[in-house]
Amino acid sequence: MIVLEFLWLLPRNACVLILRGYRAVISPLYGDVCRYYPSCSAYTLQAIQRHGVIAGVALGAWRIARCHPWAKGGVDDVPQRRVPRYRITDFGFVVATGHGKG
Amino acid sequence: MDLNGIINGIGTVLTPIKWVIEAILVGFHWVFENVFGMDGDAGLTWVLSIVGLTVIVRAALIPVFVRQIKSQRKMMEIAPQLKKIQDKYKGKRDQFSREAMQRETMEMYKKAGTNPLSSCLPLLIQMPVFFSLLPTLNEAKPDAQGHFHAGVGLFSKDLVESLYRANLFGVAPLKDSIQTAWGTEWVVVIIAAVIVVLMTGSQFFTQLQLVSKNMSPETKASPMYRQQRMLLYVLPLIFIFSGFAFPIGAMFYWLTSNVWTLVQQYLVIRNLPTPGSEAALAREARLARKAHARALARGEDPDGPGGIALEAAADGPSAAPKRETTQRQQPTSKNRKKKGGR
Repeated sequence: MIVLEFLWLLPRNACVLILRGYRAVISPLYGDVCRYYPSCSAYTLQAIQRHGVIAGVALGAWRIARCHPWAKGGVDDVPQRRVPRYRITDFGFVVATGHGKG
Repeated sequence: MDLNGIINGIGTVLTPIKWVIEAILVGFHWVFENVFGMDGDAGLTWVLSIVGLTVIVRAALIPVFVRQIKSQRKMMEIAPQLKKIQDKYKGKRDQFSREAMQRETMEMYKKAGTNPLSSCLPLLIQMPVFFSLLPTLNEAKPDAQGHFHAGVGLFSKDLVESLYRANLFGVAPLKDSIQTAWGTEWVVVIIAAVIVVLMTGSQFFTQLQLVSKNMSPETKASPMYRQQRMLLYVLPLIFIFSGFAFPIGAMFYWLTSNVWTLVQQYLVIRNLPTPGSEAALAREARLARKAHARALARGEDPDGPGGIALEAAADGPSAAPKRETTQRQQPTSKNRKKKGGR
């Protein structure tokens, strides 16, 4: 069961790693430019953590499309899942919760 | 690492943009050949066509830039609210306070209907253009049988051949890079190196101007400033790296774009500096000097009405909020004055 969950979460954790790398190396280069809070990369990161790779990437892409010089900007959070299914580590990896072993 | 191979791969996705890019190139090439009577096969004609393409792209981006400048002006009005939020979180360095502060700041911007941040669009938008230009240059060569193939849309077979044979100054093929010419054609390496130096120099100068002259004291105190300073040294490194692999023709795109930024920024820093920045103070002083000289020329007492501006400018940073008042009062007729309109 744990192995299955690990495999199930592997794609999104791979994305988390890539986004963390991007946020650590590339985005500091051009500084604060995003008209929204959280910034597009932080938004995409959260969206992938909460909704998985497919829905997360779609949400992130839609956000980047909305973020342009004529956008109003402001606070724009990732939609919450009704029941959070997984735990998120400090680094950002998504892991199965310890309790509630199905 | 075959960078060009990866870039050509991206290029296939960008076919529609490539169509437009090649059409613009062909258009400029036609104009330089038929209107200015230049040699169509000369490297210079093709280089100027690439310069023309850059100018079109950058001109199309002017509205984005103007928008950004305008919202930066508006920052003056919301400065007190911003200060309030900053004071509230003063000295709090933990992650949650920083996040809460950013959140509140964003909410405030939205309420005020302005936003000093430009989104990443201006940064990203040139990428597809550049990555369409690269394969256009790279693909302009004969196949194994020695036949040329037309590009996308208006880019005909003859033009492809002409671009392939185009040598800058008669010696440096536009499609060559330092990487391909290393060890065989040193003249190409030297020309490419000169372009890289110009590119890096213009970039460094632009960034230095921005960082040293056009930033308000508040920005200088923020973490963003540190990042901007970092950019000052990292971007030239990127240019040196890319100058190694990219063909000469493509580097002319970057060079023109950098020069455009340099001039655009010079004009903005001179005429519309960020309120409170060093450049703004310099502008105040310049305007005050002019007013002073005008008053003297009219034979008036410069320490009269005209002299006030000079003193205000000499006050230093405290004079910055008076920026609006430095604009000359437009003369109005007596009738209009009575109506109270402007």
